[in-house]
Amino acid sequence: MMDIKLMVNNKPYTLNIEPSERLLDVLRTRLGLMGTKEGCGEGECGACTVIVDGKTVNSCLVLAAQANGSEITTIEGVGNRRKPHPVQKAFVEVGAVQCGFCTPGMVLSAKNLLDKKSKPSDDEISVAMSGNLCRCTGYDKILRAVKLASQEGN
Amino acid sequence: MNTNVVGSRVIREDAWGKVFGQSKFPADVNLPDQLYGVVVRSPYPHARVRNIVTEKALELAGVVTVLTAKDVPHNSHGVLFRDQPVLADYVRMVGDPVAVVGAETMEIARAAAKLVEIDYEVLPAVFDAEQAMLPEALPLHPELKPTNVLYHMPIRRGTMEDGWALADVVIENEYNTQHVDHAFLQPEAVLAYVDERGHMVVQTATQYAHYDRGEIAHALGLRFSQVQVKTLAVGGAFGGREDISLQIIAALLALTTLRPVKMENTREESFYSHSKRHPMRMYYKTGATKDGKLVAMEAKIVGDAGAYASWSINVLRKSAVHATGPYVIPNVSIDSFAVFTNNPYAGAMRGFGAAQTVLAYESQMDLLAKALGISALEIRLLNHFKVGSTTATGQVLTGSIPLDQCLAKIAPYLQKGDGIL
Repeated sequence: MMDIKLMVNNKPYTLNIEPSERLLDVLRTRLGLMGTKEGCGEGECGACTVIVDGKTVNSCLVLAAQANGSEITTIEGVGNRRKPHPVQKAFVEVGAVQCGFCTPGMVLSAKNLLDKKSKPSDDEISVAMSGNLCRCTGYDKILRAVKLASQEGN
Repeated sequence: MNTNVVGSRVIREDAWGKVFGQSKFPADVNLPDQLYGVVVRSPYPHARVRNIVTEKALELAGVVTVLTAKDVPHNSHGVLFRDQPVLADYVRMVGDPVAVVGAETMEIARAAAKLVEIDYEVLPAVFDAEQAMLPEALPLHPELKPTNVLYHMPIRRGTMEDGWALADVVIENEYNTQHVDHAFLQPEAVLAYVDERGHMVVQTATQYAHYDRGEIAHALGLRFSQVQVKTLAVGGAFGGREDISLQIIAALLALTTLRPVKMENTREESFYSHSKRHPMRMYYKTGATKDGKLVAMEAKIVGDAGAYASWSINVLRKSAVHATGPYVIPNVSIDSFAVFTNNPYAGAMRGFGAAQTVLAYESQMDLLAKALGISALEIRLLNHFKVGSTTATGQVLTGSIPLDQCLAKIAPYLQKGDGIL
C-alpha cells in the first residue's frame, strides 16, 4: 500500500492505495465518481477520459500512483444543471447525446480543447476528439456540438 | 394531426443526465456486501463437459461459491427456443459459460476463475454453414431439429423458365459477408439481489426487460411475479442486448448466496458472450432484358446461425423477403436458410438480415448495368418499386415509395464521379 495526494475537481484527497490500482479504479471505486466509464480497459475507446494537469488521458492506462500530486478534472467537475458548460449545452442542443456512455469522455476532450484554443478549426476539433469512440451517432453531431460550443463559448 | 413533437426539434429527456455523467449504467450501481461474479467460459467450440473440479478455486481466500450446470434449476433460455444453457455441460461454441465464481472482490473472482478445473471431451466442430447442412453433419440441437437446418424460407413468384427465356443478360455470382460485433460501448453488467419481499431484482442494460424477466423466472424456478428487471441506462445495444447475457447467472448467484451480486464483463468477455451479425453466403443469378428490365432472379442465402437459434428464423426470413432489393422482378425463386454451426451464435443486429443481402442485389445491379452498357442509375430507375408494385412475396405496395425522388436528388452527386455512373 502507498499514500498518494490528488486534487480532484478542486477537492484535495489523500488516499492509501495499492500500487496496482488504476486511476480509473480510484476515481470510480474509492471516490465514487461514476461518471468516468470503462469501455475497453485498454486505451482504445476513451470512455474513461479525464483531464490530468491540463492533458486528457485514458484513466484506464494511468496508474493512480503516477497521478500523485496531480490536478484532475472528471465529468463531475464540469458544469451543473444551473450552469452547464458550453460544451454540455451544445451536446444537448445539437443532439450529440444518444446512449451517453461515451459522452463524459467526449465532453472532457472537447472542454480541454476549448480551454487551450477557443476557436479551433474543424481539423483541430477532429484531432482532439479522435481518441473518443462513439458507436451510436456517427460523430457528425458530436463534431458539430464542439463547433457550436466554440462559437458560443466566448 | 397537430403535434408539437413530430417535425420539431425535441431535446431528449435523458441528455442532461448524460452530459453531467450522472446517468447510471449497470456498472455504476453497487450494494453493500455485494459479491462479484466471474464466468468461466469454454475455450472449445464443441465439447462435452466430463468433470469439473472446484476445490482449488474454493480454497482461495474470499471465494464464496462456484456454480455449474448442476446448480441451475432449469438450465435453458432463448428468445425463440430455450436452446441455450445458463451454464453449459455440453458446449457448442467458444465462450459458452460453464461455471461461475462468486467472491468477495472482482480480483479474487478473476483469480479463482482460472483455478476451476474443467475436463472437456472435445468433439469435432463444424464452422462452415454449408458443410453443417450436409446430411452426414452431426446435428447440434437434435432435440430441436433433426439436422442443422434450423429454418428454410422459400419464396416463389412467376415461372423461372419464362423469366430466363426473356433474359438477354444473366449475371451469376457468389457473395459472402462476415461476422460483425455490435461493439456497443458499455460492456454488459448486472446487479442482482433478493429484496425485502424475497423477490429477485435484476438491474441491467437490456433491450428486452420483460423477456429477461420471464427467462430469469424460468431458469431459477421462480414465479414471474417474483422477478423484477430494472433497465438502467443502456450504453448502446444495436440488437446485441436482445438475448440474455449475465442476467440469469447473476440472479442464480444472488439466489444461492442470498447476497447482492455484481457482474461486469471485460471488453474481451463481451466479445465472447453476445450474439453477432449473421455471416451470409449468397448465390445470386439475375437476368435482365436488353432494355434493362429485370425479368428473373434466383437466390440461395445461407445464414450462419452459429451455436444457438436466437433470432435466426426472423433474421433469415427478413433476408429472403428483402432478397430482391427494392426492385420489381416478375419471376423469382429465393431460398434462405438458417444453419447451426459451432461458430459464435448470431442474432439481432441493426437491419436484422436485410443488411447483408444489399451487397448481393446491388452488386448484381451494377454488374447488369455494366453488361448492358447503361448507367447504374438508369438500371435502378427502370426497375425500382413504385406505388402499385408487387414484391416477390406478393405484397402490393400502397404507401409512399419516393425512390424516384431519392434517386433524382443523389443523381448529380453520383455523376460527378469518374464517369462509371
